[in-house]
Amino acid sequence: MSEPDDADALAAEYALGCLDAEAMHDAALRVSRDPAFARAVAAWQTRLMPLAALVEPVALPPDMWDRVNRATAPGTGTVVPLRRVRFWQASTAGALAIAASLAAVMVLRQPAPEPPRVAVLTPIANGTPVLLATTAPDGRLFIQPSGAISVPPDRDLELWALAKGEAKPRSLGVLPPQGRAFVATTPMDTQLLVSLEPRGGSPTGQPTGAVLYAGTLTRVN
Amino acid sequence: MSDTDDTDTLLRRCADGDRIAFRALYDHWAPRMHGIALRILRQPSLAADATHDAFVQVWQQAHRFDPALGSAEAFLISLARYRALDIVRRTAREVPGYESEEQEDESPDALSRLVTSSEGAALQRCLQRLEAERRRMVVMAFVEGLSHGDLAKRLRIPLGTVKSAIRRSLLALRACLAS
Repeated sequence: MSEPDDADALAAEYALGCLDAEAMHDAALRVSRDPAFARAVAAWQTRLMPLAALVEPVALPPDMWDRVNRATAPGTGTVVPLRRVRFWQASTAGALAIAASLAAVMVLRQPAPEPPRVAVLTPIANGTPVLLATTAPDGRLFIQPSGAISVPPDRDLELWALAKGEAKPRSLGVLPPQGRAFVATTPMDTQLLVSLEPRGGSPTGQPTGAVLYAGTLTRVN
Repeated sequence: MSDTDDTDTLLRRCADGDRIAFRALYDHWAPRMHGIALRILRQPSLAADATHDAFVQVWQQAHRFDPALGSAEAFLISLARYRALDIVRRTAREVPGYESEEQEDESPDALSRLVTSSEGAALQRCLQRLEAERRRMVVMAFVEGLSHGDLAKRLRIPLGTVKSAIRRSLLALRACLAS
């Protein structure tokens, strides 16, 4: 057998999964070091993939997503307080425009009985729009994304407030993709969280899905 | 979500750090990956570990997925299989005299379940061209994660015979699928 044939046969055996522990380990190393071998393995994985249809899906243990979520998003579930300087650095142009327009609205209103506060809810991972939360002088909370947030059709984003020192967040309602105003009293240093929930919001009154955004309402001045 | 394009897109969005895409991918693929891991490992706790680790790898390695090299489905399924195979090779699974209670999956009838896609239909056609015993070896190796040595014990065939039969079968499959 020629050498390319030999390498391809080894790639096939590795993709099939019939190698013993040592040969499998060696093949895995070769995948990471030999691009031609990695290509051969990827091609074999694709050739054999239809065999996976012989195995029925199995329901996942209920805590699986939490474990995966924790392991992949170190920031998830813990809120990173954002200082003002960080907000300006982290903001996208869109968020800045929203902030400017909302600030203008706030200035035109009556003298504020409540100091305006702002929070940028940063995505746990990069690459998705930020959410900007601001409070109006009358205490209303506005929340608006800097860009379109894609949500699967059977899901909704839900906004939560976690007051300082409290263990359980309080639901502020489902968040439409274009953002909205919430009539909510939010004590100083309230943490805001956005989780992915079944359509219509969490059935339990507590977040059940992944926490995708988190930020703390901080005084602007 | 059944479309290849959708899985491709979600995987690429994961590579860009999109948690919503990651969750959608999880909802759709994790039960399948778990089924595959469970079939190989047979113990729910070990299978849960394999599925967990595989899905963490999905997030960490999504940027390595290249649609020019293979399908997104194969990328995901393979992460689960390698993880499960790694665990099973390090765990003594075989007990003397142990026989699989599930043989029906190697029947030609079970193979008809492959025909849910054009790729599946082609693979089924090419598998049918193999000798029955060789076809059985290939399917058992993939589905149950049996090594050359496991197959030799299970089928009571010399190890060298198993190795050459599988290698020939795989090369025959490659030629048949390319035709």
